[in-house]
Amino acid sequence: MSIQNPIVSASVATNSFRGARSRLWARGLFRLAVGDPVMFFPEPARGQVAATPEPAPTVVQTDVKLVIGGETVRNNSEGTLSIVGSSLQFATGKAKAEVKASSILDISTNEDSRQDITGAAHFATIAIPYGGGRVLSLFSHKVDVLTLEFKDANGGYHGTVFVLPQGRAAPIKKQLVAMGAKASVPLAEPAPTNK
Amino acid sequence: MKHRNRTAVSVILPIVLACALLLIVDSLWALRGSGDSQSAQKFSASSIQIEPVDPGDLPIPPEFRMAIYENLIAEIRKTEKFQHVFRSGDKDAASASDLVTLRTTAQSFTKGSQRKREVTTFTGSTSMTLNVHITDHAGQPLVDRDVQGKVRFLGENLRATYDFSKKVANIVRHTFQSAERQATPFGVAGVFVEF
Repeated sequence: MSIQNPIVSASVATNSFRGARSRLWARGLFRLAVGDPVMFFPEPARGQVAATPEPAPTVVQTDVKLVIGGETVRNNSEGTLSIVGSSLQFATGKAKAEVKASSILDISTNEDSRQDITGAAHFATIAIPYGGGRVLSLFSHKVDVLTLEFKDANGGYHGTVFVLPQGRAAPIKKQLVAMGAKASVPLAEPAPTNK
Repeated sequence: MKHRNRTAVSVILPIVLACALLLIVDSLWALRGSGDSQSAQKFSASSIQIEPVDPGDLPIPPEFRMAIYENLIAEIRKTEKFQHVFRSGDKDAASASDLVTLRTTAQSFTKGSQRKREVTTFTGSTSMTLNVHITDHAGQPLVDRDVQGKVRFLGENLRATYDFSKKVANIVRHTFQSAERQATPFGVAGVFVEF
């Protein structure tokens, strides 16, 4: 983007063209006012492709709990698990963790159950008289557990455990295996349930 | 009749109190003795590398193996006994001169049920026993112990892995000198300056 320098233009104007000079000044100031923000805006110019455009996620799963193994994300934080490009991403409101599919050494799915009442409310149920808290412990729901083993850029071995709503881990595993992740338990076979 | 009861109480009570006092003194003495022996055997190392859990022939679910591994990394970092806690396969570990290696091998594993635990309070506990083996750079064993991790009443099954890791971290705390204490006038232990 080029902007005409109004001072240079004005300097060449003669006395006979004072009216034109003032118009030039006004035009120059206007262009400067309009052009400046565009000139210094960090957005790439038209036609220039951004270095790493983030592709749209192919698989998105909300209500996922990262149980353990998120280096930048705190344990037991809830967020969204998605496959973006060739990576698996877990994002919470504050942080984001990413694992490349090619770096995954093993991926496995499992079934488990989690109680409906958790956290502080769960501890409060202990105070319910006549064993009421124990009755509440009977209410639980099935979940899928997705476990990843992968290596970081330095060769360090990592493990991550996610808890997803029931039946949601298999599509993610399928997609990751298709993108080059390794899995010791083949996709066709159902994962062994340890109850 | 009343007089007999009073006599019995006056005889039994001092005996019970004396026994209790003896037990307390004995346990305190044992604690002091073990503390001395532990402090005498303290090793020093600037770095530790933690290897993944060897499940052996036991069907330990992958999420448990990963949770043990990640909890071990976190808990051993918390001890602040080492300047570097390397993951398995980390390329930087090769340059550490006094690296010690921690290996864990599963000995027994029982996956319980959170629901059973909280409803009955005496069944459904999750427990695991792993052999903890720490060797020095030359392969000489420094620690070789079986450690149990369990969750008896409250908490999810994976909490047993946290219990195990806390116990291992405690062993490390009692076996190794802290990283600050290893500092020498010429640098930090493991980095010797030659004149």
